[in-house]
Amino acid sequence: MAVAENITMPDLEAAERAEARRRKVVSTAVPLGTAAALILLWQLGVKLFGVPTYVAPAPSDVAVAFVEKFDILLMNFWPTLMESVAGFAVGNIVAILIAVAFVHSRHVTMAFFPIAVFINTIPILAIAPILVLIFGPGITAKVVIAALICFFPTLVNMVRGLQAISPQALELSRILSASKSEVFWKMRLPASLPFLFSALKISATTSVIGAIVGEWVGADLGLGALIIDATFNFNSPLLYATVFMSSGLSVLMFALVTLAEKLIVRW
Amino acid sequence: MMEAKNSLQGQKVGAPDKALAASLTDATVRFGTFTAIDGLNLDIEEGAFYTILGPSGCGKSTMLRLVSDLIPAAAGDVSIFGKTTEQARLAREFAFVFQDATLLPWRSALKNVELPLEIGAKRGVDVPLGSRSPRELLELVGLKGREDALPHELSGGMRQRVAIARALVCQPKLLLMDEPFGALDEMTRDHLNLQLLDIWRETGTTILFVTHSIAEAVFLGQKVIMMRAHPGRLREVVDIDLPEPRTIKQRDQQEFTAYCGYLRDLLETC
Ligand SMILES: Nc1ncnc2c1ncn2[C@@H]1O[C@H](COP(=O)(O)OP(=O)(O)O)[C@@H](O)[C@H]1O
Ligand SMILES: [Mg+2]
Repeated sequence: MAVAENITMPDLEAAERAEARRRKVVSTAVPLGTAAALILLWQLGVKLFGVPTYVAPAPSDVAVAFVEKFDILLMNFWPTLMESVAGFAVGNIVAILIAVAFVHSRHVTMAFFPIAVFINTIPILAIAPILVLIFGPGITAKVVIAALICFFPTLVNMVRGLQAISPQALELSRILSASKSEVFWKMRLPASLPFLFSALKISATTSVIGAIVGEWVGADLGLGALIIDATFNFNSPLLYATVFMSSGLSVLMFALVTLAEKLIVRW
Repeated sequence: MMEAKNSLQGQKVGAPDKALAASLTDATVRFGTFTAIDGLNLDIEEGAFYTILGPSGCGKSTMLRLVSDLIPAAAGDVSIFGKTTEQARLAREFAFVFQDATLLPWRSALKNVELPLEIGAKRGVDVPLGSRSPRELLELVGLKGREDALPHELSGGMRQRVAIARALVCQPKLLLMDEPFGALDEMTRDHLNLQLLDIWRETGTTILFVTHSIAEAVFLGQKVIMMRAHPGRLREVVDIDLPEPRTIKQRDQQEFTAYCGYLRDLLETC
Protein backbone atom coordinates (compact mmCIF):
# COMPACT_ATOMS: atom_id res chain seq x y z
CA MET A 1 0.00 0.00 0.00
CA ALA A 2 2.68 2.43 1.12
CA VAL A 3 4.91 1.31 -1.72
CA ALA A 4 2.16 1.70 -4.26
CA GLU A 5 1.52 5.20 -2.98
CA ASN A 6 5.18 6.07 -3.26
CA ILE A 7 5.19 5.00 -6.86
CA THR A 8 1.97 6.58 -8.02
CA MET A 9 2.11 9.85 -6.10
CA PRO A 10 5.07 11.44 -7.97
CA ASP A 11 3.60 10.22 -11.26
CA LEU A 12 0.29 11.85 -10.48
CA GLU A 13 1.99 15.03 -9.41
CA ALA A 14 4.13 15.11 -12.53
CA ALA A 15 1.07 14.55 -14.69
CA GLU A 16 -0.73 17.34 -12.87
CA ARG A 17 2.20 19.69 -13.33
CA ALA A 18 2.42 18.85 -17.02
CA GLU A 19 -1.29 19.49 -17.39
CA ALA A 20 -0.98 22.85 -15.63
CA ARG A 21 1.94 23.80 -17.86
CA ARG A 22 0.01 22.81 -20.96
CA ARG A 23 -2.93 24.94 -19.87
CA LYS A 24 -0.63 27.89 -19.25
CA VAL A 25 0.92 27.59 -22.70
CA VAL A 26 -2.51 27.39 -24.32
CA SER A 27 -3.77 30.39 -22.38
CA THR A 28 -0.89 32.54 -23.67
CA ALA A 29 -0.77 31.04 -27.16
CA VAL A 30 -4.45 31.62 -27.96
CA PRO A 31 -4.53 35.42 -27.45
CA LEU A 32 -1.12 35.80 -29.12
CA GLY A 33 -2.31 33.81 -32.12
CA THR A 34 -5.50 35.84 -32.31
CA ALA A 35 -3.54 39.09 -32.23
CA ALA A 36 -1.19 37.87 -34.97
CA ALA A 37 -4.16 36.84 -37.11
CA LEU A 38 -5.81 40.24 -36.68
CA ILE A 39 -2.62 42.06 -37.62
CA LEU A 40 -2.30 39.87 -40.70
CA LEU A 41 -5.92 40.63 -41.60
CA TRP A 42 -5.24 44.33 -41.21
CA GLN A 43 -2.14 44.09 -43.43
CA LEU A 44 -4.07 42.23 -46.13
CA GLY A 45 -7.08 44.57 -45.90
CA VAL A 46 -4.99 47.73 -46.28
CA LYS A 47 -3.00 46.33 -49.20
CA LEU A 48 -5.96 44.67 -50.93
CA PHE A 49 -8.23 47.72 -50.86
CA GLY A 50 -5.40 50.17 -51.49
CA VAL A 51 -6.13 52.31 -48.43
CA PRO A 52 -3.88 55.39 -48.48
CA THR A 53 -1.11 55.23 -45.85
CA TYR A 54 -2.18 58.54 -44.20
CA VAL A 55 -5.67 57.10 -43.57
CA ALA A 56 -4.54 53.77 -42.19
CA PRO A 57 -0.98 52.53 -42.46
CA ALA A 58 -0.27 48.83 -42.88
CA PRO A 59 1.35 47.10 -39.92
CA SER A 60 4.51 46.75 -41.98
CA ASP A 61 4.64 50.56 -42.46
CA VAL A 62 4.21 51.01 -38.70
CA ALA A 63 6.98 48.52 -38.02
CA VAL A 64 9.31 50.34 -40.42
CA ALA A 65 8.51 53.68 -38.76
CA PHE A 66 9.09 52.10 -35.38
CA VAL A 67 12.58 50.96 -36.33
CA GLU A 68 13.61 53.99 -38.41
CA LYS A 69 12.29 56.60 -35.98
CA PHE A 70 13.23 54.73 -32.85
CA ASP A 71 15.61 57.47 -31.67
CA ILE A 72 12.83 60.09 -32.01
CA LEU A 73 10.37 57.80 -30.23
CA LEU A 74 12.82 57.16 -27.40
CA MET A 75 13.64 60.86 -27.09
CA ASN A 76 9.95 61.56 -26.62
CA PHE A 77 9.45 58.52 -24.41
CA TRP A 78 11.61 59.72 -21.50
CA PRO A 79 9.77 62.98 -20.72
CA THR A 80 6.42 61.19 -20.74
CA LEU A 81 7.82 58.46 -18.50
CA MET A 82 9.14 61.07 -16.06
CA GLU A 83 5.85 62.96 -16.00
CA SER A 84 3.83 59.79 -15.53
CA VAL A 85 6.01 58.48 -12.71
CA ALA A 86 6.17 61.87 -10.98
CA GLY A 87 2.42 62.37 -11.35
CA PHE A 88 1.80 58.83 -10.14
CA ALA A 89 3.95 59.41 -7.07
CA VAL A 90 2.58 62.85 -6.22
CA GLY A 91 -1.10 61.99 -6.83
CA ASN A 92 -0.96 58.78 -4.85
CA ILE A 93 1.06 60.14 -1.93
CA VAL A 94 -1.30 63.08 -1.55
CA ALA A 95 -4.31 60.75 -1.82
CA ILE A 96 -2.87 58.40 0.82
CA LEU A 97 -2.12 61.23 3.23
CA ILE A 98 -5.58 62.74 2.80
CA ALA A 99 -7.15 59.29 3.27
CA VAL A 100 -5.24 58.93 6.54
CA ALA A 101 -6.52 62.33 7.65
CA PHE A 102 -10.07 61.36 6.65
CA VAL A 103 -9.96 58.17 8.67
CA HIS A 104 -8.43 60.02 11.58
CA SER A 105 -11.02 62.76 11.79
CA ARG A 106 -14.66 62.97 10.91
CA HIS A 107 -14.40 66.76 10.67
CA VAL A 108 -11.69 66.66 8.03
CA THR A 109 -13.82 64.22 6.04
CA MET A 110 -16.85 66.47 6.32
CA ALA A 111 -14.86 69.50 5.20
CA PHE A 112 -12.91 68.00 2.33
CA PHE A 113 -14.72 64.98 0.94
CA PRO A 114 -17.28 67.01 -1.06
CA ILE A 115 -14.41 69.02 -2.54
CA ALA A 116 -12.62 65.82 -3.53
CA VAL A 117 -15.78 64.54 -5.19
CA PHE A 118 -16.20 67.86 -7.02
CA ILE A 119 -12.63 67.73 -8.32
CA ASN A 120 -13.30 64.23 -9.55
CA THR A 121 -16.34 65.38 -11.55
CA ILE A 122 -14.30 67.86 -13.62
CA PRO A 123 -13.30 66.15 -16.90
CA ILE A 124 -9.53 66.02 -17.06
CA LEU A 125 -9.61 67.25 -20.68
CA ALA A 126 -11.47 70.35 -19.57
CA ILE A 127 -9.14 71.22 -16.75
CA ALA A 128 -5.87 70.45 -18.58
CA PRO A 129 -5.67 73.80 -20.47
CA ILE A 130 -6.32 75.69 -17.25
CA LEU A 131 -3.47 73.87 -15.54
CA VAL A 132 -1.14 74.55 -18.47
CA LEU A 133 -2.05 78.25 -18.22
CA ILE A 134 -1.31 78.22 -14.51
CA PHE A 135 1.88 76.17 -14.50
CA GLY A 136 3.25 77.08 -17.92
CA PRO A 137 4.45 74.80 -20.71
CA GLY A 138 7.06 73.03 -18.55
CA ILE A 139 6.89 69.62 -16.91
CA THR A 140 4.92 70.85 -13.86
CA ALA A 141 1.54 71.09 -15.57
CA LYS A 142 1.83 67.53 -16.93
CA VAL A 143 2.81 66.16 -13.54
CA VAL A 144 -0.14 67.95 -11.94
CA ILE A 145 -2.58 66.59 -14.53
CA ALA A 146 -1.20 63.04 -14.13
CA ALA A 147 -1.38 63.42 -10.35
CA LEU A 148 -4.93 64.70 -10.50
CA ILE A 149 -6.09 61.73 -12.56
CA CYS A 150 -4.50 59.33 -10.03
CA PHE A 151 -5.82 61.08 -6.99
CA PHE A 152 -9.46 60.14 -6.61
CA PRO A 153 -9.48 56.34 -7.07
CA THR A 154 -6.62 56.04 -4.60
CA LEU A 155 -8.32 58.33 -2.09
CA VAL A 156 -11.55 56.31 -2.15
CA ASN A 157 -9.80 52.92 -2.06
CA MET A 158 -7.39 53.95 0.66
CA VAL A 159 -10.20 55.26 2.89
CA ARG A 160 -12.02 51.96 2.40
CA GLY A 161 -8.84 50.00 3.05
CA LEU A 162 -8.03 51.83 6.25
CA GLN A 163 -11.55 51.06 7.46
CA ALA A 164 -11.43 47.44 6.30
CA ILE A 165 -10.24 46.11 9.63
CA SER A 166 -12.84 43.91 11.33
CA PRO A 167 -14.71 45.06 14.46
CA GLN A 168 -13.28 42.05 16.24
CA ALA A 169 -9.70 43.06 15.41
CA LEU A 170 -10.52 46.44 16.91
CA GLU A 171 -11.81 44.73 20.05
CA LEU A 172 -8.57 42.77 20.19
CA SER A 173 -6.60 46.01 19.98
CA ARG A 174 -8.69 47.44 22.79
CA ILE A 175 -8.14 44.41 25.02
CA LEU A 176 -4.41 44.80 24.39
CA SER A 177 -4.78 48.50 25.27
CA ALA A 178 -3.20 49.46 21.94
CA SER A 179 -2.66 53.14 21.22
CA LYS A 180 -4.21 54.85 18.20
CA SER A 181 -0.88 54.89 16.39
CA GLU A 182 -0.28 51.20 17.12
CA VAL A 183 -3.68 50.37 15.67
CA PHE A 184 -2.77 52.43 12.62
CA TRP A 185 0.67 50.97 11.97
CA LYS A 186 0.04 47.39 13.00
CA MET A 187 -3.54 46.91 11.80
CA ARG A 188 -5.11 49.60 9.63
CA LEU A 189 -2.18 50.28 7.32
CA PRO A 190 -1.33 46.66 6.49
CA ALA A 191 -5.03 45.88 6.11
CA SER A 192 -5.33 48.70 3.56
CA LEU A 193 -2.55 47.46 1.28
CA PRO A 194 -4.66 45.18 -0.98
CA PHE A 195 -7.09 48.10 -1.46
CA LEU A 196 -4.22 50.51 -2.12
CA PHE A 197 -2.71 48.23 -4.75
CA SER A 198 -5.95 47.84 -6.66
CA ALA A 199 -6.03 51.66 -6.86
CA LEU A 200 -2.36 51.86 -7.80
CA LYS A 201 -2.95 49.46 -10.69
CA ILE A 202 -5.61 51.82 -12.01
CA SER A 203 -3.42 54.88 -11.66
CA ALA A 204 -0.40 53.14 -13.19
CA THR A 205 -2.16 53.42 -16.55
CA THR A 206 -4.21 56.57 -15.99
CA SER A 207 -1.10 58.55 -15.00
CA VAL A 208 0.22 57.92 -18.53
CA ILE A 209 -3.06 59.19 -19.96
CA GLY A 210 -2.74 62.31 -17.77
CA ALA A 211 0.80 63.01 -18.95
CA ILE A 212 -0.15 62.57 -22.63
CA VAL A 213 -3.22 64.79 -22.30
CA GLY A 214 -1.00 67.43 -20.68
CA GLU A 215 1.41 67.20 -23.60
CA TRP A 216 -1.40 67.61 -26.13
CA VAL A 217 -2.30 70.95 -24.65
CA GLY A 218 1.18 72.36 -24.75
CA ALA A 219 4.53 70.70 -25.14
CA ASP A 220 7.18 70.21 -27.78
CA LEU A 221 8.56 67.01 -26.33
CA GLY A 222 6.89 63.83 -25.13
CA LEU A 223 4.74 61.11 -26.67
CA GLY A 224 1.65 63.37 -26.50
CA ALA A 225 3.46 66.11 -28.43
CA LEU A 226 4.68 63.54 -30.96
CA ILE A 227 1.10 62.29 -31.45
CA ILE A 228 -0.09 65.83 -32.23
CA ASP A 229 2.91 66.45 -34.48
CA ALA A 230 2.51 63.22 -36.43
CA THR A 231 -1.23 63.81 -36.86
CA PHE A 232 -0.76 67.31 -38.28
CA ASN A 233 1.91 66.05 -40.66
CA PHE A 234 -0.27 63.13 -41.81
CA ASN A 235 2.58 60.87 -40.70
CA SER A 236 0.32 57.98 -39.82
CA PRO A 237 2.98 55.27 -39.45
CA LEU A 238 4.80 57.44 -36.88
CA LEU A 239 1.47 58.22 -35.18
CA TYR A 240 0.67 54.54 -34.82
CA ALA A 241 4.17 53.76 -33.64
CA THR A 242 3.83 56.48 -30.98
CA VAL A 243 0.53 55.05 -29.84
CA PHE A 244 2.17 51.65 -29.41
CA MET A 245 4.99 53.28 -27.49
CA SER A 246 2.44 54.95 -25.18
CA SER A 247 0.63 51.72 -24.51
CA GLY A 248 4.02 50.08 -23.91
CA LEU A 249 4.64 52.70 -21.23
CA SER A 250 1.28 51.94 -19.60
CA VAL A 251 2.01 48.22 -19.65
CA LEU A 252 5.42 48.83 -18.11
CA MET A 253 3.96 50.92 -15.27
CA PHE A 254 1.20 48.38 -14.67
CA ALA A 255 3.66 45.48 -14.64
CA LEU A 256 5.90 47.23 -12.12
CA VAL A 257 2.97 47.90 -9.76
CA THR A 258 1.75 44.33 -10.14
CA LEU A 259 5.23 43.03 -9.36
CA ALA A 260 5.42 45.23 -6.25
CA GLU A 261 2.01 43.94 -5.18
CA LYS A 262 3.11 40.33 -5.59
CA LEU A 263 6.15 41.00 -3.42
CA ILE A 264 4.36 42.97 -0.72
CA VAL A 265 0.81 41.58 -0.48
CA ARG A 266 1.50 37.91 0.13
CA TRP A 267 -1.61 36.99 2.12
CA MET B 1 -26.65 21.31 42.57
CA MET B 2 -28.06 24.69 43.40
CA GLU B 3 -25.53 27.28 44.43
CA ALA B 4 -26.83 30.73 45.13
CA LYS B 5 -24.38 33.59 44.87
CA ASN B 6 -22.88 34.31 48.24
CA SER B 7 -22.67 37.95 49.11
CA LEU B 8 -19.25 39.39 48.42
CA GLN B 9 -18.51 39.97 52.09
CA GLY B 10 -19.82 36.56 53.11
CA GLN B 11 -17.62 34.82 50.58
CA LYS B 12 -14.52 36.65 51.63
CA VAL B 13 -15.06 36.09 55.33
CA GLY B 14 -16.31 32.57 54.94
CA ALA B 15 -13.65 31.30 52.57
CA PRO B 16 -10.59 33.54 52.72
CA ASP B 17 -8.45 30.95 50.94
CA LYS B 18 -10.57 31.07 47.82
CA ALA B 19 -9.40 34.11 45.91
CA LEU B 20 -11.77 35.61 43.36
CA ALA B 21 -10.72 35.95 39.75
CA ALA B 22 -13.74 38.09 39.00
CA SER B 23 -16.69 39.39 40.91
CA LEU B 24 -19.84 40.94 39.48
CA THR B 25 -22.17 42.77 41.84
CA ASP B 26 -25.57 43.86 40.55
CA ALA B 27 -23.88 44.33 37.18
CA THR B 28 -26.19 45.82 34.59
CA VAL B 29 -25.54 46.49 30.90
CA ARG B 30 -27.81 48.58 28.71
CA PHE B 31 -27.74 49.28 24.99
CA GLY B 32 -29.78 52.46 24.78
CA THR B 33 -33.03 51.58 26.48
CA PHE B 34 -32.54 47.84 26.04
CA THR B 35 -31.30 46.02 29.12
CA ALA B 36 -29.01 43.19 28.03
CA ILE B 37 -27.84 42.18 31.50
CA ASP B 38 -29.90 42.97 34.56
CA GLY B 39 -28.38 42.92 38.03
CA LEU B 40 -25.98 40.02 37.60
CA ASN B 41 -24.31 38.74 40.76
CA LEU B 42 -21.54 36.26 40.22
CA ASP B 43 -18.25 35.29 41.82
CA ILE B 44 -15.62 33.56 39.73
CA GLU B 45 -13.17 31.55 41.79
CA GLU B 46 -9.54 31.67 40.82
CA GLY B 47 -8.19 28.70 38.95
CA ALA B 48 -11.56 27.18 38.08
CA PHE B 49 -12.90 26.32 34.64
CA TYR B 50 -16.32 27.89 34.14
CA THR B 51 -18.50 27.26 31.16
CA ILE B 52 -21.41 29.55 30.36
CA LEU B 53 -24.67 28.33 28.82
CA GLY B 54 -27.90 30.06 28.06
CA PRO B 55 -30.42 30.71 25.29
CA SER B 56 -29.08 32.77 22.42
CA GLY B 57 -29.30 36.50 23.08
CA CYS B 58 -29.28 36.07 26.86
CA GLY B 59 -26.14 38.17 27.22
CA LYS B 60 -23.30 35.62 27.36
CA SER B 61 -21.08 37.57 24.99
CA THR B 62 -22.15 40.79 26.65
CA MET B 63 -21.04 39.45 30.00
CA LEU B 64 -17.57 38.57 28.68
CA ARG B 65 -17.32 41.96 27.04
CA LEU B 66 -18.30 43.59 30.29
CA VAL B 67 -15.62 41.67 32.18
CA SER B 68 -13.01 42.49 29.54
CA ASP B 69 -13.72 46.24 29.68
CA LEU B 70 -15.03 46.38 26.11
CA ILE B 71 -18.35 47.78 27.34
CA PRO B 72 -19.08 49.67 30.55
CA ALA B 73 -21.51 48.65 33.25
CA ALA B 74 -24.57 50.91 33.40
CA ALA B 75 -24.92 50.07 37.07
CA GLY B 76 -23.30 47.78 39.59
CA ASP B 77 -19.70 46.79 39.90
CA VAL B 78 -17.24 44.44 38.24
CA SER B 79 -13.86 43.68 39.72
CA ILE B 80 -11.09 41.42 38.49
CA PHE B 81 -8.56 40.24 41.03
CA GLY B 82 -9.72 43.13 43.17
CA LYS B 83 -9.03 45.69 40.44
CA THR B 84 -11.33 47.58 38.13
CA THR B 85 -11.74 46.08 34.68
CA GLU B 86 -9.69 48.94 33.20
CA GLN B 87 -6.80 48.38 35.60
CA ALA B 88 -6.92 44.67 34.88
CA ARG B 89 -6.95 45.35 31.13
CA LEU B 90 -3.93 47.66 31.37
CA ALA B 91 -2.11 45.02 33.43
CA ARG B 92 -3.01 42.34 30.82
CA GLU B 93 -4.55 40.19 33.55
CA PHE B 94 -7.04 38.72 31.12
CA ALA B 95 -7.02 37.66 27.49
CA PHE B 96 -9.85 37.07 25.06
CA VAL B 97 -10.39 34.37 22.45
CA PHE B 98 -13.13 35.17 19.93
CA GLN B 99 -15.23 32.75 17.91
CA ASP B 100 -13.35 33.89 14.84
CA ALA B 101 -9.59 33.53 15.36
CA THR B 102 -9.10 37.22 14.43
CA LEU B 103 -5.55 36.73 13.25
CA LEU B 104 -3.83 39.44 11.25
CA PRO B 105 -3.68 37.81 7.79
CA TRP B 106 -0.36 39.37 6.81
CA ARG B 107 1.43 38.04 9.87
CA SER B 108 2.82 34.54 10.23
CA ALA B 109 1.52 32.31 13.01
CA LEU B 110 4.52 33.22 15.15
CA LYS B 111 4.19 36.94 14.41
CA ASN B 112 0.52 36.78 15.39
CA VAL B 113 1.40 35.20 18.72
CA GLU B 114 4.01 37.92 19.25
CA LEU B 115 1.54 40.75 18.63
CA PRO B 116 0.54 41.29 22.29
CA LEU B 117 4.22 41.62 23.22
CA GLU B 118 4.73 44.32 20.59
CA ILE B 119 1.75 46.39 21.66
CA GLY B 120 2.91 48.99 24.14
CA ALA B 121 6.56 47.86 24.05
CA LYS B 122 7.72 51.09 22.37
CA ARG B 123 5.65 53.23 24.75
CA GLY B 124 7.45 51.85 27.76
CA VAL B 125 4.43 49.82 28.89
CA ASP B 126 5.46 47.05 31.22
CA VAL B 127 4.18 44.17 29.09
CA PRO B 128 4.06 41.03 31.24
CA LEU B 129 6.22 38.33 29.70
CA GLY B 130 4.82 34.86 30.09
CA SER B 131 7.03 32.02 31.20
CA ARG B 132 6.69 30.53 27.74
CA SER B 133 8.05 32.12 24.58
CA PRO B 134 5.77 32.50 21.54
CA ARG B 135 7.59 29.61 19.94
CA GLU B 136 6.99 27.37 22.96
CA LEU B 137 3.34 28.37 23.02
CA LEU B 138 2.91 27.34 19.40
CA GLU B 139 4.46 24.03 20.34
CA LEU B 140 2.10 23.77 23.31
CA VAL B 141 -0.92 24.11 21.02
CA GLY B 142 0.56 21.56 18.61
CA LEU B 143 1.75 23.88 15.86
CA LYS B 144 5.47 23.22 15.99
CA GLY B 145 6.87 23.60 12.50
CA ARG B 146 4.10 25.90 11.30
CA GLU B 147 5.56 29.08 12.83
CA ASP B 148 6.04 30.77 9.47
CA ALA B 149 2.71 29.79 7.95
CA LEU B 150 0.34 32.62 7.09
CA PRO B 151 -3.19 32.33 8.51
CA HIS B 152 -4.70 31.51 5.10
CA GLU B 153 -2.39 28.53 4.88
CA LEU B 154 -3.80 27.08 8.12
CA SER B 155 -7.06 25.24 8.78
CA GLY B 156 -9.78 26.76 10.94
CA GLY B 157 -8.76 24.63 13.91
CA MET B 158 -5.11 25.58 13.51
CA ARG B 159 -5.99 29.25 13.31
CA GLN B 160 -7.97 28.99 16.52
CA ARG B 161 -4.98 27.34 18.16
CA VAL B 162 -2.79 30.26 17.09
CA ALA B 163 -5.38 32.56 18.68
CA ILE B 164 -5.17 30.56 21.92
CA ALA B 165 -1.37 30.75 21.88
CA ARG B 166 -1.64 34.50 21.34
CA ALA B 167 -4.02 34.78 24.28
CA LEU B 168 -1.56 32.92 26.51
CA VAL B 169 1.53 34.92 25.60
CA CYS B 170 1.17 37.46 28.41
CA GLN B 171 0.30 34.66 30.84
CA PRO B 172 -3.18 35.91 31.70
CA LYS B 173 -4.72 34.93 35.01
CA LEU B 174 -8.14 34.96 33.43
CA LEU B 175 -8.94 33.59 29.99
CA LEU B 176 -12.22 34.67 28.38
CA MET B 177 -13.41 32.54 25.50
CA ASP B 178 -16.55 33.30 23.48
CA GLU B 179 -17.63 30.16 21.60
CA PRO B 180 -14.04 29.64 20.45
CA PHE B 181 -14.74 26.26 18.85
CA GLY B 182 -18.27 27.04 17.66
CA ALA B 183 -17.31 27.12 13.99
CA LEU B 184 -15.22 23.95 13.99
CA ASP B 185 -16.15 20.40 13.06
CA GLU B 186 -16.74 17.88 15.83
CA MET B 187 -13.44 16.01 15.56
CA THR B 188 -11.36 19.17 15.68
CA ARG B 189 -13.51 20.41 18.50
CA ASP B 190 -12.95 17.27 20.64
CA HIS B 191 -9.26 17.51 20.02
CA LEU B 192 -9.10 21.17 20.98
CA ASN B 193 -11.25 20.56 24.06
CA LEU B 194 -8.71 18.08 25.38
CA GLN B 195 -5.86 20.38 24.49
CA LEU B 196 -7.54 23.27 26.27
CA LEU B 197 -7.99 21.17 29.41
CA ASP B 198 -4.29 20.32 29.32
CA ILE B 199 -3.40 23.97 28.97
CA TRP B 200 -5.75 24.88 31.79
CA ARG B 201 -4.19 22.31 34.12
CA GLU B 202 -0.69 23.35 33.16
CA THR B 203 -1.12 27.09 33.43
CA GLY B 204 -3.57 27.21 36.32
CA THR B 205 -5.41 30.07 34.65
CA THR B 206 -9.07 30.77 35.35
CA ILE B 207 -11.25 30.18 32.31
CA LEU B 208 -14.65 31.60 31.38
CA PHE B 209 -15.83 29.68 28.34
CA VAL B 210 -19.07 30.47 26.51
CA THR B 211 -20.58 27.66 24.47
CA HIS B 212 -23.94 26.69 23.05
CA SER B 213 -23.19 22.99 23.35
CA ILE B 214 -24.43 21.40 26.59
CA ALA B 215 -22.04 18.46 26.16
CA GLU B 216 -19.09 20.77 25.70
CA ALA B 217 -20.12 22.78 28.75
CA VAL B 218 -20.29 19.65 30.93
CA PHE B 219 -17.14 18.14 29.50
CA LEU B 220 -14.97 21.21 30.07
CA GLY B 221 -16.50 22.91 33.06
CA GLN B 222 -16.00 22.43 36.73
CA LYS B 223 -18.94 24.76 37.03
CA VAL B 224 -21.60 25.60 34.48
CA ILE B 225 -23.08 29.09 34.66
CA MET B 226 -26.62 28.95 33.29
CA MET B 227 -28.04 32.29 32.20
CA ARG B 228 -31.60 33.24 31.35
CA ALA B 229 -32.87 35.72 28.83
CA HIS B 230 -35.17 38.76 28.80
CA PRO B 231 -33.47 40.27 30.60
CA GLY B 232 -30.10 38.55 30.92
CA ARG B 233 -29.77 37.20 34.42
CA LEU B 234 -28.07 34.40 36.28
CA ARG B 235 -30.23 31.28 36.40
CA GLU B 236 -28.04 28.87 38.28
CA VAL B 237 -24.43 27.80 38.78
CA VAL B 238 -24.16 24.03 38.48
CA ASP B 239 -21.14 22.21 39.93
CA ILE B 240 -19.94 19.40 37.70
CA ASP B 241 -18.46 16.67 39.87
CA LEU B 242 -16.80 14.45 37.32
CA PRO B 243 -13.45 12.76 37.89
CA GLU B 244 -10.39 14.68 36.74
CA PRO B 245 -8.70 14.63 34.35
CA ARG B 246 -11.64 14.48 31.98
CA THR B 247 -11.53 11.95 29.17
CA ILE B 248 -13.62 11.61 26.02
CA LYS B 249 -14.87 8.26 27.33
CA GLN B 250 -16.61 9.93 30.25
CA ARG B 251 -19.12 11.32 27.84
CA ASP B 252 -20.78 7.95 27.44
CA GLN B 253 -21.07 7.45 31.17
CA GLN B 254 -24.30 7.84 32.98
CA GLU B 255 -23.09 10.59 35.30
CA PHE B 256 -22.15 12.74 32.35
CA THR B 257 -25.44 12.25 30.55
CA ALA B 258 -27.30 12.96 33.77
CA TYR B 259 -25.65 16.38 33.97
CA CYS B 260 -26.50 17.01 30.35
CA GLY B 261 -30.10 16.03 30.94
CA TYR B 262 -30.36 18.28 33.98
CA LEU B 263 -28.91 21.23 32.07
CA ARG B 264 -31.17 20.60 29.09
CA ASP B 265 -34.23 20.73 31.31
CA LEU B 266 -32.87 23.82 33.03
CA LEU B 267 -32.20 25.53 29.69
CA GLU B 268 -35.84 25.05 28.74
CA THR B 269 -36.92 27.12 31.71
CA CYS B 270 -34.59 30.00 30.84
N1 LIG C 1 -23.77 46.48 20.55
C1 LIG C 1 -25.06 46.16 20.80
N2 LIG C 1 -26.04 47.06 20.58
C2 LIG C 1 -27.31 46.75 20.82
N3 LIG C 1 -27.75 45.57 21.30
C3 LIG C 1 -26.83 44.63 21.53
C4 LIG C 1 -25.43 44.88 21.29
N4 LIG C 1 -24.74 43.76 21.62
C5 LIG C 1 -25.66 42.85 22.05
N5 LIG C 1 -26.90 43.38 22.00
C6 LIG C 1 -28.13 42.70 22.41
O1 LIG C 1 -27.94 42.23 23.72
C7 LIG C 1 -28.50 40.93 23.85
C8 LIG C 1 -27.45 39.97 24.32
O2 LIG C 1 -26.51 39.78 23.28
P1 LIG C 1 -25.30 38.76 23.40
O3 LIG C 1 -24.57 39.02 24.65
O4 LIG C 1 -24.53 38.85 22.14
O5 LIG C 1 -26.06 37.37 23.48
P2 LIG C 1 -25.45 35.89 23.48
O6 LIG C 1 -25.88 35.31 24.78
O7 LIG C 1 -26.11 35.17 22.36
O8 LIG C 1 -23.99 36.00 23.33
C9 LIG C 1 -29.09 40.55 22.52
O9 LIG C 1 -30.48 40.77 22.56
C10 LIG C 1 -28.42 41.49 21.55
O10 LIG C 1 -29.30 41.81 20.51
MG1 LIG D 1 -22.67 35.40 21.76
